[in-house]
Amino acid sequence: MGLELRLAWRNVWRNPRRTGLTIAATVFAVFLVVFFVAMSAGVHEKMIEDSVRVHSGHLTVTGEGYLENKTLEYGMRWGDPLLEALESDPAVTGIAPRVTGFGLLSKTAKAQGVMVMGVDPAREGTVSTLPDRIQEGRFLTGETPRGIVLGSRLAKNLGALPGDELLLYSVAYSLEMAYELFTVVGVMRLPEPALDRRFAAIRLTDAQEFFVYGDLVTEVALLTSSAEAAAPLAQRLRDELPQPRARPLAVHTWNEVMPDLEQLLLLDDAQMYITLAILVIVVAFGILNTILMAVLERTRELGVMLALGFRPAAIFRLVYLESLMLAAVGLGIGLALAIPAVFWFEAHPIWIESEAMAGMVEMFGMEPVMTWKFKITNPIGSAATILGIASLAALYPAWKASRARPVDALRAI
Amino acid sequence: MSVRGATIASVWLWVAVGVGAVDLEPPDAALSARDVVSRMEDNMRGVASSTCDATMTVTSPRLPAPREVRFRCWEDRVGERSFIRIVAPAKDKGVGFLKIPPNLWNYIPRVERTVRIPPSMMMQSWMGSDFTNDDLVRESSVLDDYEHVFLGVDPEFAALDGAPRRVHVIEYQPHEDAPVVWGRIVVWVDAERFVPLQQEFFDEDGVRLRRMSLGDVREVQGRSVPHLWRMVPLDKDGHETKLQYQSLRFDEPIDAAVFTKRNLSRRE
Repeated sequence: MGLELRLAWRNVWRNPRRTGLTIAATVFAVFLVVFFVAMSAGVHEKMIEDSVRVHSGHLTVTGEGYLENKTLEYGMRWGDPLLEALESDPAVTGIAPRVTGFGLLSKTAKAQGVMVMGVDPAREGTVSTLPDRIQEGRFLTGETPRGIVLGSRLAKNLGALPGDELLLYSVAYSLEMAYELFTVVGVMRLPEPALDRRFAAIRLTDAQEFFVYGDLVTEVALLTSSAEAAAPLAQRLRDELPQPRARPLAVHTWNEVMPDLEQLLLLDDAQMYITLAILVIVVAFGILNTILMAVLERTRELGVMLALGFRPAAIFRLVYLESLMLAAVGLGIGLALAIPAVFWFEAHPIWIESEAMAGMVEMFGMEPVMTWKFKITNPIGSAATILGIASLAALYPAWKASRARPVDALRAI
Repeated sequence: MSVRGATIASVWLWVAVGVGAVDLEPPDAALSARDVVSRMEDNMRGVASSTCDATMTVTSPRLPAPREVRFRCWEDRVGERSFIRIVAPAKDKGVGFLKIPPNLWNYIPRVERTVRIPPSMMMQSWMGSDFTNDDLVRESSVLDDYEHVFLGVDPEFAALDGAPRRVHVIEYQPHEDAPVVWGRIVVWVDAERFVPLQQEFFDEDGVRLRRMSLGDVREVQGRSVPHLWRMVPLDKDGHETKLQYQSLRFDEPIDAAVFTKRNLSRRE
């Protein structure tokens, strides 16, 4: 075996330029794979974190059936037992109870359909970035009753400024007409235009009064350490939360609340993996080509080796090893370049300067920034894929070499 | 069998399995579906104006007890304008609705504001009831916007009032370009008095969404007029809205000033 390794290594460098080029191609492919997988992981994580921090949170606790119907029927009691149960789990880092309803909002006779969310001003910031998104005025406070904060596009469409009195109009839980004047205290910019056009926030207690909703809430949004921590926490909460007698509680993870986002990420991943797969296959053919050329050039040499008593199996191993070495060297250099690059970009995300591009990205509710994320599965997976495909590509030249017959081979040039 | 015959036969099948009515007798030969609808329309709407006093009772699993809303109404059928003023409960007293096509306005006295209900809210509940805003403002003409198909005659239709009545069963199929929200409507029309006794509303996929039953038919100025309208949404358990007219009067002179925004925002 030691002899074969030495022979193989020497053979790899027999034509340094050709080998160098093949290795360069492999390095390039490895670099691209690792770099883009890390970028996708970073961008996706950022998308998820941005989206959950807009308002949904990593987890949403609701009454069973609320997510499907989004009506006031599915409320749950908000009080100490539920709060204490949520606070007792150390993985829960933010708790925001809410009442979400729908209605009309008008300054003059011209009304706009809105989603109005009653939030606890003291708690909301522990889950969402709503309080930080204020452009004009201020966010809701516990003291001032009947204040309302509007999405910037909604405010523009209504022609409303801080200080204006708006009529909020809906049907209460009690099926009475619900109407109340609210004073605009602030305007906030929400990243998603569709939401920015129809989102308004009022105090939780005002919402409960407006919708004649008692001490009920429609949902409690929770924040935890990361998107990945959501599923195990959800499972734990499902088992541990005190279940009310009237209607059981349901715990949803971010991807259940925002299935569109998850679909978008999966689609994006699929596109990326297809592109990378094509790249890896092209590189594999490069390796195959290099080794095959080397084998055909060495017909005479291989014939001599066979004549000297080398077994065909040993020749097969030799050529196979050459391919793997080629791939491994490329892989090693590629990883050595890509991993530091990923770490560097992870620390230095790139902000998109172009207005048009930034606008497009903002449509999806994210900040216009490209981020990278190193995960140990990325280089391991990339290495396994490249080595696996290279070892498949190596089969043919190795087989071809092992089939040489000494007599024919010696007669060849 | 002609195409029309085949259509009617297939509709018959539909009635048997879909509508779930008892077996129907074939339609009266002397009357076309359009004749029936036209006579019913003439009876129900062949007036220039109407005024009413009514009580709406909303039943819902949300409510510990049914909720009542009393209102008065004025309708100018020629100008397609109407006006509603809420009388009770006290909290909503003075709330007004004014319809001047294509708009529906809502005045709220407590905050002294008038809102125009946008088109996107038309299919939403009217005052928490099972009637929609669209039910209030609907302008579609039953005669012009629909094709009428005679499904048959039910000799013993159990009306809301109890006593079995002989009814024509007619299906309305909207014309393709008609401004209509329903896929189709089936109407049970009293064969003697030409009063609708029941209507069922289907969506475009043929799903039956709601049923309106009518009863308490009284003679008013030579017309047979149902005074009790009961709307039941079929996709929601335990919901029901009853509209009981205490009085309905036709062709009394109404001051044109009633149908103005000034009148709407007048405090009583």
